Amino acid sequence: MTHSFRKTLLSASVSLAAMLAAQAATAQEAVFVMAGNEVGAPTYNPIKATMLNTATGLIFDRLVSQAADLSYHPWLAESWEEAADGMSWTFHLKQGVTFHNGEPFNAEAVKAWIELFKTTEGENAYMAEAIASVEVVDDQTVKFVMSRPEPNLLYNLSSTFMSVVEPKSFAALGDDFGVTEVYGTGPFKLESFSIGQETVLVRNDDYTWGPQLATNHGPAKIARATFREIPEDSTAFLELKTGGVDMLLSVPPDLTGEIEKEANLAVVTLPGADVWYMPINVTKAPFDDIRVREAAAKAINQEEILASVFGGVGSTADTFLISALPESHVSDGAKIHYDPERANALLDEAGWVMGADGVRAKDGQPLKVTLWTQSDSIFRRLTEVVQAQLKAVGIEAEITTFDSSMIRDQYKTGEQQLAVRSYNWDNADIVDWFFGGDRLGYPNVSMFNDPKAEELRTAAMTGAKNMDERIANFTAYHEYVLSQFPMAPIYQPVQAMAYNKDRISVPEKIDAPSFGSAMFMDLEVKE
Amino acid sequence: MFAYLVRRVLMLVPVFLAVSVVIFSILHFIPGDPIDNLLKPGSSPTARAEMEMRYGLDRPLPVQYGIWLSKVVQGDLGTAIVARRPVADLIAQSLPHSLRLGGLALLFSTVVGVGLGIVAALNRDRWPDRAVMGGVLLGSTLPSFWLGLILMLVFSVWLGWFPVSGARGWGSLVLPVLTIGLGGTALVARVTRVSMIEAAERDFVLLLHAKGLSPLRIQLRHVLRHALMPVVTILALRIGWILGGAVTVEVVFARPGLGTLLIKSLSQHDYPVVQACLLMLAMAVMLGTLLGDVLQALMDPRVRAALA
Repeated sequence: MTHSFRKTLLSASVSLAAMLAAQAATAQEAVFVMAGNEVGAPTYNPIKATMLNTATGLIFDRLVSQAADLSYHPWLAESWEEAADGMSWTFHLKQGVTFHNGEPFNAEAVKAWIELFKTTEGENAYMAEAIASVEVVDDQTVKFVMSRPEPNLLYNLSSTFMSVVEPKSFAALGDDFGVTEVYGTGPFKLESFSIGQETVLVRNDDYTWGPQLATNHGPAKIARATFREIPEDSTAFLELKTGGVDMLLSVPPDLTGEIEKEANLAVVTLPGADVWYMPINVTKAPFDDIRVREAAAKAINQEEILASVFGGVGSTADTFLISALPESHVSDGAKIHYDPERANALLDEAGWVMGADGVRAKDGQPLKVTLWTQSDSIFRRLTEVVQAQLKAVGIEAEITTFDSSMIRDQYKTGEQQLAVRSYNWDNADIVDWFFGGDRLGYPNVSMFNDPKAEELRTAAMTGAKNMDERIANFTAYHEYVLSQFPMAPIYQPVQAMAYNKDRISVPEKIDAPSFGSAMFMDLEVKE
Repeated sequence: MFAYLVRRVLMLVPVFLAVSVVIFSILHFIPGDPIDNLLKPGSSPTARAEMEMRYGLDRPLPVQYGIWLSKVVQGDLGTAIVARRPVADLIAQSLPHSLRLGGLALLFSTVVGVGLGIVAALNRDRWPDRAVMGGVLLGSTLPSFWLGLILMLVFSVWLGWFPVSGARGWGSLVLPVLTIGLGGTALVARVTRVSMIEAAERDFVLLLHAKGLSPLRIQLRHVLRHALMPVVTILALRIGWILGGAVTVEVVFARPGLGTLLIKSLSQHDYPVVQACLLMLAMAVMLGTLLGDVLQALMDPRVRAALA
């Protein structure tokens, strides 16, 4: 090897190293891990999919966005008006928005997109069901003509399933839309998608129409984002710890403590959409007696559970709905709180006499009931605490554990008495879902079927013409259900995310109900 | 030989039918159904009935089975109910990952297992034998889930040699291959050792010794050849087993594959996908068995003669 050649090689490798270092310093690239329950989401087709992952919210925009307090804010729609009779809605669209494939986003595109819900076979059609037709008023204005008032329309429009897709490519690509190619107006474009493994997104440099709730309206600061799918929480944690990934989008309560022990990691939380509760089967003795139901509900010490089971992270629940929902604002008397004196007095009144062994009895029958739960460890821990709290007022509960994927069918037998479960939903119609008289067993685990409740339910589900009426009707329905004690509220978790402090800077204020564009626009890789 | 092969393949048909019945009925007797995963709060009360009709779940089970089987034998695996994609697409995306992982694990356990077995047999009842057999006992009793996490902790978190998880590059294959392969190594090493020891006590070995061949040459050229026959059979049987064994390991290491797909679909009761995955695993076992029989026939002149 000649001297000069060696020199050239040396200087070339030095400059290559410098280039690589420079690239590493400026590259806004980050790796995220999606929540475990999102693993295997098979497509980015919002109209057909039954399950969509977090990355979907970065490929597409929606007409309406939701803030952390679940209020509605402009996004692709700059403003809107609802007719007084609820039979039409007019949306004024943002100007200068284009899809990733260059097609314009305008009134025609919105009309074509809504019509896809009518012509595509799938389970999401109900979201646009009340829209009878879409009229193009002018290039930036659309009018939805309704077949019935739908005061829940803004909620539907802010849902990921109503992400605005580019209608021409949707028609042309068929089943491949959302798998091999996908076009929205979002801050990121799909580069590659390998189901069950990872999705790579690249920044949409033309993006300037980010949601108002973000500080940065576009383009995003991160240039390239990889979303990995990791089913095991402990594996995801090890990846974060070793620097293999930069952020976990969902951290289970048992791992937050571990993460806070690490110097370079931090946890950031968003309000959750989960409620943990104890359904009470109103048809099974002794819980056919409302006094016994109320006693069991008021035996639950929410504060103690928050502190001992969940380490103080999250908040207690005192209604059936997450507290961000306006329909959760029932009268103080209707809220269900821990009240052992009341519980004991009610059981005395119902004829259940405290025995020497700490278990109440009536006519020689001990107050023994079953308490069902699912196999996940956090459920088992919580259920043991609930069992002890019931015992404190003289109710002996025997725990039966079922596999998480099979417990629904067990509920369908209607044999349950008490159970510990949770749901994740951010709309008041969840009251209808879990207490509607035509869904006994599952989802109506409480087997609650009450004529007055059914009346209030109909008014809540279909009787309202606008959003205020809907809120009033659902609040009344919710309040009545609470007064019958078909369940005891327990706990509201937060959504915890974890990130590497050395790598990522997270905005101080996050005004979003969940991880999505509003938060992602302000995320930055530290340089 | 050809007639034997045809007979063996034909025998697979009734086995396949029986397996398909078992797969189909086990799955449908598990409590729960896919519709529960499709219904959302806000959908109409009649939605359940409509969906059952759309996916044919309202028909009697034997009818559903008949429709499924007739499509499967025509090569149509159907469409996933929850995932909403052709099952064949989902399998095609997953299977190569599992085959790569399983194939390498099989290779690893063969090479290392046979090697260790030979070492143990040649040093029968001395310390190398005891060490190998002790290690083998330990290796075969460790649950792969746990072993995977330990390997991850040591080689990825402490030493930083390999990525923790994922399926990027060959480095990410090392720990999963080790996790699956170590269990298999134990079995192969044991079988190799035992059958070498047995073979070494046969009369022909005495003859070879009498002819003055070197002991090492006798062991490696003649004894090993005899001893490998049961090993080959076991390896062929393990082809299917290794694909199935990859299930938990894929989940721990967050690798895409048949196992990850199976676990996900099972929790959603996505019948067409689970049925297809289980059918793949069952076929792998059946074909492995067939391969084992054929190889044995080819290797053993006595079997070959009996078949001729």
